[in-house]
Amino acid sequence: MHRGSQCRLFPLPQTGYPILLSRSAGAIRMGVGKGLPGQFEVVPPFVRAVGEVRACFAALSGRTLPERTYEHGGLRLRFPKVAAGCEAVLINTGGGMAGGDRAVLHFAAGAGADVTVTTQSAEKIYRTQGSASIVEVGLSVASAARLEWLPQETILFNEGQLVRRLDADMAADAALTLVESVTFGRSAMGEMQPRGVFRDSWRIRRGGELVFAEEARLEGNIATTLDRRACGAGARALATFLYIAPDAERHVEGVRAVLDGLRPRGDVMCSIEPARDGTAIEAGITCGASAWNGILVARFGSASPQRLRAALVGLLEALRGRRVPRVWQ
Amino acid sequence: MALPPDETSSRPSLLPLLVWTSPAFPVGAYAYSHGLEWSVESGAVRDAASLRQWLVDLLEHGAPRNDAILLAQAWRAAAALDEAALREVNALALALASSRERRLETSAQGNAFVSAAQAAWPCAALDCLSRNAAGDVAYPVAFGAAAGGHGVDLTEASEAYCLAFIANLVSTAVRLGVLGQTDGQRTTAALLPRIRSLAAFTATTGIEELGTAAFQSDLAALQHETQYSRLFRS
Repeated sequence: MHRGSQCRLFPLPQTGYPILLSRSAGAIRMGVGKGLPGQFEVVPPFVRAVGEVRACFAALSGRTLPERTYEHGGLRLRFPKVAAGCEAVLINTGGGMAGGDRAVLHFAAGAGADVTVTTQSAEKIYRTQGSASIVEVGLSVASAARLEWLPQETILFNEGQLVRRLDADMAADAALTLVESVTFGRSAMGEMQPRGVFRDSWRIRRGGELVFAEEARLEGNIATTLDRRACGAGARALATFLYIAPDAERHVEGVRAVLDGLRPRGDVMCSIEPARDGTAIEAGITCGASAWNGILVARFGSASPQRLRAALVGLLEALRGRRVPRVWQ
Repeated sequence: MALPPDETSSRPSLLPLLVWTSPAFPVGAYAYSHGLEWSVESGAVRDAASLRQWLVDLLEHGAPRNDAILLAQAWRAAAALDEAALREVNALALALASSRERRLETSAQGNAFVSAAQAAWPCAALDCLSRNAAGDVAYPVAFGAAAGGHGVDLTEASEAYCLAFIANLVSTAVRLGVLGQTDGQRTTAALLPRIRSLAAFTATTGIEELGTAAFQSDLAALQHETQYSRLFRS
């Protein structure tokens, strides 16, 4: 949803920075938020991209098909042929998100449906001096349905701001797989010390009850925070894998075996040490898994986005018993 | 000269906080290392300096930050006798547990706190939490509810909770042989200003401020689950 270079400067508001409040009748209401310090660019609503995709999937005589889809703005959904289930690939025709852009993504798997939703490429969050890029994900998984939300990694450019919210509602006997992976700064572009905003909120309800929540927050000098011992210990890429299903706890030993295999010998005992000169990182990976209350979680941290991605693919393929979506390969 | 009894009893007092955070109050905090046992095993925490850095990171970006925000929300719900808000913040606090042992750490201490406090320090907010008998109670929510229910100052309650959290991890590190008793006490003393600023910040903010970045601490908690030889339950 990127539309060229940074937008022109408009008069600054008295206080705060502009945020998107809501869309109604094609117009976007702008509000003034408070909290972020510094100079802010005010972007008029017509310049910012609002993309929206909604899709419902239904199981019909043993096959899962997209029942209804809605596309708006620069977002498209495509359905490549796959051997099992139904795969949907989300495409951002804008190639990335600028400050003030907003993406609304809703996917619903009907009773008994088997759905995998992924993205065509890594999502880029461009540098902004103004408001954040906003992503809202809504997932719904009906009885006996299986939904996988497997977007490729998000790359937060230096000075990028991402505020993401994920809400999932699932039936007690449904299965939900989530992967979210984020890379901080483009190391190939020399962005070893990225600044910016990363806020990620998850709320997952099973049978109406809140069972899992996550609140990640990195603001300001992200690199300095990620270099701290108990924070990232030098990591520039992080990922969370989540599997919620009645059989989740049964898989934890298998997942741990996969993770043990991913770590090179001798790596298990050492965490990643921050690189002093910003380049000579001997990229290790730190990962671990846990399961409780029908929830399986695995977490990853690495100085190397490539290393982390390979680990994630390894885990997904082992757990799914089939390859990752073709766009991942 | 002694004050008249009525004046003494209506004066706000720190004494409940001293009782609730005393090692004699049966919540069993000594059994939980919050993943620190693995961080010591892996070498990430190996001396007084690295322990202090680790604890500073937790106060600024880790579980104590979220806990203080949740405690404040529970305190406000208890002070207003808003049962729905109290149940809601408890559900959120439990859902935010990042692994099985983190969930055990907050719920075992929370449940134990509610039982002990209900017997000796009953109040309507604790009744509300324990009526939800089928479910667990998260420790910061239990603590905040008791403080709010008894009119204990929010900032002081938050300071006491965070101090108890930090002092427990310092004691953990001492027991694991990372540093001696004296250096342990120095570490705790050096962290008091940060504990106070966290409590002051969270007393005036709502749950929209939740958020952590202590990813290595969370990873340590995961790896602790399969640690070969362990003294601690988390």
